[in-house]
Amino acid sequence: MTQEKSGEKDIESTLFEIITEVGSARSFYIEATQTAHEKNIERAKELFEEGQRAFNKGHRIHASLIREVSAEGHVPVFKNDERIMLLTHAEDQLMSAEAFGILTEEFLALYQALKEKKIL
Amino acid sequence: MKKIVLMCVAGMSTSLLVSKMQAAAKESGFPCEIQAHGVAEAPNVIPEADVVLLGPQVRYLLSKLKKEYPDRKIAAIDMRTYGMVDGKKALAQAREVMES
Repeated sequence: MTQEKSGEKDIESTLFEIITEVGSARSFYIEATQTAHEKNIERAKELFEEGQRAFNKGHRIHASLIREVSAEGHVPVFKNDERIMLLTHAEDQLMSAEAFGILTEEFLALYQALKEKKIL
Repeated sequence: MKKIVLMCVAGMSTSLLVSKMQAAAKESGFPCEIQAHGVAEAPNVIPEADVVLLGPQVRYLLSKLKKEYPDRKIAAIDMRTYGMVDGKKALAQAREVMES
């Protein structure tokens, strides 16, 4: 599926792709933190990396959407409220995933330190 | 009548998939009730559901919900199906999980 040209018809699927990728990233981040809590630091790091990959995918789709709407001669595609709500939701999910990613990295470092000190 | 529940963070993105699944159910003549809910509603809706499908945003809750509701059929929606908002495939997955 291409993200380069989103006509009115497929803007919905572009937004759904963003929601799917960053939503999946968010799940990976949370699973990474839970896995680190269970002392499996190596697996937690793998899950974190999977989260990063999914987040980057979603982020790239979002970035190409920004480029597209700011290009000269762009024809507006957001003509109905439902799609505008979906865009808001996609960006909300993106921000939520980003915050989870930052915190997960910190949690992993913390759990690793606790494990090394045999506190965990 | 079978009851299918889709869950995500706020029930917002899954509600779009629900309307496509309803269309697919109508087309194939499969009588069912399909709803979208946020995970906060889990205790109110899971006990009544024949099958529960989780969106990618809440997939991390799969093992916890399976433990809490061991007699319910719960699964994560296939990521591709979700990304493409494919109502037909989502309905097929729901039926598959229900019969598993």
